[in-house]
Amino acid sequence: MKKSQASRVGVTLALASMMLAACGGNNEGGGANGNAPAPEASGNNGNGAKQEKVKLTLWHNFAGDDLRAKTVRSFIDQFKQDNPDVELDAQAIPPDGYRQRLATVAAANEMPDLSFVYAGSHSTELYKAGLLQPITELTDANPEWKGKFLPGAFDPYTFEPNQIYTAPLGMSATSILYYNTSLFEKYSVKVPTTWDEMLAAIKTFNDHGITPIALGNKAPWVAQSTIIGSLADRVTGTEWFKNAAAQKDAKFTDPQFVEALGYFKQLVDNKAFQEGANSIDNTQAEQYFIQGNAAMMVSGAWTLTNLAAAASEEQMKPIDVTVLPAIPGGKGDANSITGGAGGGLALSSRTTGAAKEAALKLIYTLSGPEAQKAIAESNSMVMYDTEIDQSKVTSLYYKAFNLVKKTGITPVYDAILSAEGAEALNNGLQELMMDGKPEDVAQKVQDAQARSVTP
Amino acid sequence: MAPAVRSRGFIALALLPALLLFLVFVIVPIFWSAYYGLFDWKGLGSAKFIGLGNYEEILQDEIFWRALKNNLILVASSIAGQIPIALLLALLLLRNTLFSRFIRSAVFMPMVLSTVVVGLIWGYIYHPQFGLANAVLEWLGLESWTRAWLSDPKVNMLAVSIPINWSNVGPYLIIFIAALQNISSEIDDAAKIDGAVGWRKLISVTLPMIWGTVVVSLVLCISGSLKAFDHVIVMTGGGPAQSTELLATYMYNNTFDVYRYGYGSAVSTMIIVISALLIGLQYALTGRKKEG
Repeated sequence: MKKSQASRVGVTLALASMMLAACGGNNEGGGANGNAPAPEASGNNGNGAKQEKVKLTLWHNFAGDDLRAKTVRSFIDQFKQDNPDVELDAQAIPPDGYRQRLATVAAANEMPDLSFVYAGSHSTELYKAGLLQPITELTDANPEWKGKFLPGAFDPYTFEPNQIYTAPLGMSATSILYYNTSLFEKYSVKVPTTWDEMLAAIKTFNDHGITPIALGNKAPWVAQSTIIGSLADRVTGTEWFKNAAAQKDAKFTDPQFVEALGYFKQLVDNKAFQEGANSIDNTQAEQYFIQGNAAMMVSGAWTLTNLAAAASEEQMKPIDVTVLPAIPGGKGDANSITGGAGGGLALSSRTTGAAKEAALKLIYTLSGPEAQKAIAESNSMVMYDTEIDQSKVTSLYYKAFNLVKKTGITPVYDAILSAEGAEALNNGLQELMMDGKPEDVAQKVQDAQARSVTP
Repeated sequence: MAPAVRSRGFIALALLPALLLFLVFVIVPIFWSAYYGLFDWKGLGSAKFIGLGNYEEILQDEIFWRALKNNLILVASSIAGQIPIALLLALLLLRNTLFSRFIRSAVFMPMVLSTVVVGLIWGYIYHPQFGLANAVLEWLGLESWTRAWLSDPKVNMLAVSIPINWSNVGPYLIIFIAALQNISSEIDDAAKIDGAVGWRKLISVTLPMIWGTVVVSLVLCISGSLKAFDHVIVMTGGGPAQSTELLATYMYNNTFDVYRYGYGSAVSTMIIVISALLIGLQYALTGRKKEG
């Protein structure tokens, strides 16, 4: 593995230098991408003389079999049909390796014209490297469309004042509290709205041999993204977090953050999670929960999509959704979940001319009003004001869709933290689930964040 | 003279394509990544030269030392596990009966499985709630031994090393069987005449005859364990809280998750240095044993 890793880096570098050399030469070549040695170049049956086909490359991660991925792909196909003059090369790359592959071509300055990017550090790094260009002309041309996005939809993509870099295709809502009403009724437990009620519920379920909260934290972002972000926001308030992330007047070693980690530790100490939560993945935890082994699960909107694909309507019927309980004396809004704009298509800074026009059109196709409605009806949240047809979605999704409309949205931790800071927190939470102390974890997060923010 | 020179030239010519590929894709990147280890580089944008800064940071990073320790645990477990088990099985399964061929295939089978499959299978065996390992222990009345094998930091390195050994015994078995079959029958006869049988024959005749193969297997074993990556990435991802982090997963996570290409390159250079050191040490040790 070491060797192939090394050679991968090597090849990347070799490509990088070649691309750099190539770029010097073909500035006037416009948006043409150097990576398509396709056979079409030698004359399109002779009749392509008048108008050359516009070549457009797109990388996205809607590769799966779930409804949302299929929906997005159907819009891509639609675009191909409607625009015969555009030769669209769309690559669907499975989500697990997507970031790495995009990082590799980005390092080689070989970005596709359009690429699906995530909110937060992912797109920010690409922007900072000068690889993206704004799509503001598209939003300016369609003010009505722009206006129907929910508040904050463009925040993570407004890298400089009045310049928007992408329009989100979806919305991430990461800390919905799913609970099994039949288990709550069976043991007459009140759905927790305060921290004490939460601890009481945990105790009752444990006494009856039911796992209180299912958690699959093998990929360590789960506890961070679903639980600590929301919990910490309730304790510290959003303002503090943004300051701490920017390392301005606030630090992660501040007592309020240590206190927030302490609440997570309380969950661990009270055996809220099933044994070995650090060695099973999120999907396994979802299964464990939907089969009635656990009373609650804190998870994101992706669980709606997964359950819609994997669970029966009967299994889903007793499941209901709410927000995490309030924290005594907390500074943040208790009726909130963590979330924000989902990923969107970003435009490569090398794309110009006709290719750019086609690219903007494709962005509108995939995040315009019709696509937003279709995505919302594929059991997947959107950051766009749209009405959905209740009969097209699962009952659980409909509940969550309405819950999210009523709650405030607070930032997801790893969307704001640097990649290093998020990694430190992810590992820190796993440590808390073993023997770690909140103070030590806070210190590590602070060190990592400080190192990556200060140049 | 002339034919020898000509054939030497021909040998060089024939080796050239492979050698070039090897140079370009293996040797050059090694130096390249050592060079990139000198930079503070995110993989995107400009790189800042920081001299030996990354290497200094590595030496001070406790996670690096933990990863090294975990790798050494793997090396030890594969030297103590894979080689003796493979040798023992090779001695037992040397004869070409149907039964021994069946066992040989069975031992070799996990090698043919994709490591991802092996990782997933063992992930389920170790599953804290429905896992086979815990179920067997409960059935045996050893409830107190059940645990979350992959998340308990006291045992998870051990738990991870079992599937790695399991899936790697096969090739060594084949190598040893080939070596044993190469011992000519005259030597067997001579040993018989001298009255060397059983244990005595193994120590004084068989082992010395295949010692070269054992040494090569040890090299493969050590370098294989230092490169270990895929099983661990699938089973634990280096977690929880980096307790099963290996050098290779540490490098991967730094490079591709945290976007520290420079630091990751420096780590990969360290892996090469450590491998070279360990293999040198092993040659020194086994070489002396051979003389004695």
